Amino acid sequence: MERHQNRETRTPRNNVVVHRRRKSKSYRLSYRSGLGAADSRLGWSPALTARRLNTSRKAAGISNIAERVDPGQLALLVKTEWQLSYVTPLHQFRHTQLKSYARQLSAFIAAGKQQGLAVEVEGLQTTFRVSFSLVQGMTQSDEDAESVLVQIHSKRLFARQDEPQKPVWSGWLTCINGNPDYLRALPKDFVCLPLFGCSGADGLSALVKSWFQQSFDCCFGLLEISHTSLQWLMALWTNCHAESGIQHLKMIWTLPAAPPLQVTYTEAGENYIDIEEVTSFMQGLKSHFYRHFRLDLSAGSLNQVSTALGSAKYSGRMKISNSRYMITTLTLLTECALLKMPI
Amino acid sequence: MAATLSLTGPPDLDLSSASDLSVSSRSSNRSLRVAEKERKKKKAEDPFVLALKYFSDVEAGTPVNGNDEVERNMVLVEKLAYSKGLSPEAISIMLEFAMSLRMGTSLCARVLKCLIPATLVPQEAVVRAVVWLSVGKIPVSTQILFIKWVLTVFDMIDAKDQLRAVYGFIFNFVTEENLCPFICHLLYLLTRKESVRVFRVRKLLELQSRLGRQPFLLSLLSLYKVFCPEMVMLSIPSRIKSGFRNHNMPWKSALIAVQKGAGPHVAAGISPASTTIKTNPRKRKRCHLELPVMTSVVSKEAQTEPSSCGKVVPLVQLHSFAQLLENMHRIELPAQMGSLLGSSLALQYLDCVQDESALLRLNFWLGYALHEEFLFCGDRGASQNSQEALPFLDRLLSTQHFLQGFSCSEAFLYKFLNVWDGSLLRPQILGLLSNIPVVPSAQIRQLLFEPLMQLFFTSSLFFKCGLMECLNNMLLKWLTWHSVYALEDDLDISLNSHTSINMTLSGFKDSVMELVDFVGRLASLGLQLEGCHSLLLSFVLDFYETVCDMFMKYGLPLVVMPPPGVFYPALFATDPVSVDRLAYIMHRYKVNFTSAKSQEELTKQAFHISRQMVREFNHYIIVMVNCLWNSKMFQLDMGLSLGEDLLLKSKVPQYWASFDLVHHPAFMSYAVDFHHRVSV
Repeated sequence: MERHQNRETRTPRNNVVVHRRRKSKSYRLSYRSGLGAADSRLGWSPALTARRLNTSRKAAGISNIAERVDPGQLALLVKTEWQLSYVTPLHQFRHTQLKSYARQLSAFIAAGKQQGLAVEVEGLQTTFRVSFSLVQGMTQSDEDAESVLVQIHSKRLFARQDEPQKPVWSGWLTCINGNPDYLRALPKDFVCLPLFGCSGADGLSALVKSWFQQSFDCCFGLLEISHTSLQWLMALWTNCHAESGIQHLKMIWTLPAAPPLQVTYTEAGENYIDIEEVTSFMQGLKSHFYRHFRLDLSAGSLNQVSTALGSAKYSGRMKISNSRYMITTLTLLTECALLKMPI
Repeated sequence: MAATLSLTGPPDLDLSSASDLSVSSRSSNRSLRVAEKERKKKKAEDPFVLALKYFSDVEAGTPVNGNDEVERNMVLVEKLAYSKGLSPEAISIMLEFAMSLRMGTSLCARVLKCLIPATLVPQEAVVRAVVWLSVGKIPVSTQILFIKWVLTVFDMIDAKDQLRAVYGFIFNFVTEENLCPFICHLLYLLTRKESVRVFRVRKLLELQSRLGRQPFLLSLLSLYKVFCPEMVMLSIPSRIKSGFRNHNMPWKSALIAVQKGAGPHVAAGISPASTTIKTNPRKRKRCHLELPVMTSVVSKEAQTEPSSCGKVVPLVQLHSFAQLLENMHRIELPAQMGSLLGSSLALQYLDCVQDESALLRLNFWLGYALHEEFLFCGDRGASQNSQEALPFLDRLLSTQHFLQGFSCSEAFLYKFLNVWDGSLLRPQILGLLSNIPVVPSAQIRQLLFEPLMQLFFTSSLFFKCGLMECLNNMLLKWLTWHSVYALEDDLDISLNSHTSINMTLSGFKDSVMELVDFVGRLASLGLQLEGCHSLLLSFVLDFYETVCDMFMKYGLPLVVMPPPGVFYPALFATDPVSVDRLAYIMHRYKVNFTSAKSQEELTKQAFHISRQMVREFNHYIIVMVNCLWNSKMFQLDMGLSLGEDLLLKSKVPQYWASFDLVHHPAFMSYAVDFHHRVSV
């Protein structure tokens, strides 16, 4: 799949400006709209040729997210490790109906439990309470939809009233700085929240995903963070030296040797990299490894990157440790998720 | 076998006495006994048998850590278990070994996981193991694993009478909270009328008050109620939604593999309960190609304006075309559009309605399924893909007869062609490829031609033929689409139509031109690579039969001649069919040219026949006629230039007549036939 990845880093060769045509609802397509359809079909992926990972990014600005987002919700989002997925756009999802969705999801989970679908034996005595909430203040552009947070609390059968209910499962759907052409090209009854993160029991995640699939006709797929994106994340995080004195950078490569070799590079110091120099940094690192250890890092793949600001793994697990640079991280991940959209 | 053994038997066999029947029968008997003894000796030395002997004889308390012998024997047993399954004696020895915890608890779970029976499970072994269960030293998770194992192989236990005899013993385990669901399941399978007793019912009711109305308790109570309704007083819902779960997870795939390998020798007593095992062993990951079940939309609260015609009929309730027609105006689409792919009725409705967001939803689901299955699949092998992918793609292909052009399959194909190896699901992928709608000429090279070129030149002859056919179909579909839409409206489809549409007539002509050129190049080089193989030539000529009639049959004002790399191999082919087809193609070209010229004079439409094309055509015709009829090959200015001395060196007498109708190698069979008839 190396070629597939390479496609991501090439700049678009031809800026095909595609107009989206509304297909007329007549029973037989006329010639014009038929011809136009050829164009509008490609227009569905207006970024079929124009959708690439950006080759240059602005330096990470600190966004004062702490001022705009409810601190309680923010605390829930940081310091947890999330498993990421991409989601195709949701059909007829209304931000005003969150309470009713919460009710439906609890009913669905209860039904699933009856069928023995998700829950272990000791979960017999607990019931689940679901809450959907809006996380306001995270969106960056007009096209982005508001993020949604889902939490499942467990309630033991004979719990005391004042016992705090901790969430056994939480998840969120978000879209930060999504590609505006793509978002504008979607019809009105679709809401695009392409990035989904969840943490908690696998059975509950599966239940929640299947409820979403049945209610909004969307699809969930695993979002793997490619090594290019991992390098971007590393560059973004280590560039934020001006604000906090962090520099603990750890990178793990997996090399295809027998037995499989894992190379860990840990940097604890004042080094910082500009975003534009990330490739030369990686080049230098590779030649260093080759010269001293006779290891060619490009034969393996970068699996995990962690700094004091957060960590990210190839398998799609991600943790943000500091809320200040959350927006840029989520922007990058939204872009990765949008790249995986089928059309 | 006796005969061969008598030859290889002990040297004191007297073969000369074979004529004496009694002596020979005695000797053959003796050789049979010898063979038996040898077989028994070999069996005793069989490593697997030795391993079993070890497990049955090992002393209690032998350490496990660092014990290589135990490890070796375990590996042997596991290997046999996963390949062919264990024989009943092996199962009983291993079960006894595991449940008695002779070598500690760590091996117990490992042994239980590999207890795959080949044919039967002896019930004494199970009963003994249940006895060990009560001794109380086995950890809870292993106890659960054991019960799950019993449930999984329940149908393979040869008789159940001893198990029923210890019903009460098993019933006592119901009070253990962790084991309760599994024990209830086992009891459910073992219960008969005699087993229903008042104290047992009371115990179950007590449990229910403690644990709640759990489905497993309810199922067992309902079974008791069926046998003895007077003993069970409480009301049980007549339809318990869930019943019992399937607990065969760790053994499912291994059991299927063993049963498949065993083939017809599998015990006939596999009852329906175990047919649930026969699902796809690859269920670890959710199967992306599974069509969602068609359901109606769950919540209708979002509807702001009520549907004016009263009740809305969900699509899932319609089963015939007549019903569809009746309710056409008030049909509601299902919750998940992916489910439509299975029903042709639904597709017809969708084709009629052309609802944009519905089509988009379908495209999203379909694109997701294709991407996940083929592009994002990581390291999964191709063999696992084709089992489910084949019917899915076939269904997708037949769907595309109704609804042309899913944009998601187009997008998917462009990405997939870059990573395809040319042989995985070839007919289906080529079929999907031929359904691609017209690609603008600016992008066709990068999106379509480059990956196809790479595939073409590195593939076998059959792929080349398949690709030729696919491109031919693609061209046919483009031309058909053009002719349908062009004729339908009275629009002026000349070049002056408004240019804001990106696909004007000239754009369409460009795309077709690019395609025909591309195929011409592929064909020329392909024929050279394959030595002008007649199969490839026939597919190429198919393509040009389509091309030559583009004006007459499809109304597209474009004429393109075949390249020399196609013309000359066809002219000098060694089978008469190719030459004949070439002549037919040239004839059609002439018809098209003359008709185009006459039409140009008539209507003054801006159809400029390219002068270059006419010149090429004339040249080809002259060559052909000179070659076949005038016996004047190599003499005029042909595309091929062969020096005079080379032709003389070839020592072909009268080389200028070597390819005319009389001497052409392709017509040799006709010549022979002629001579036969004349000579008779």
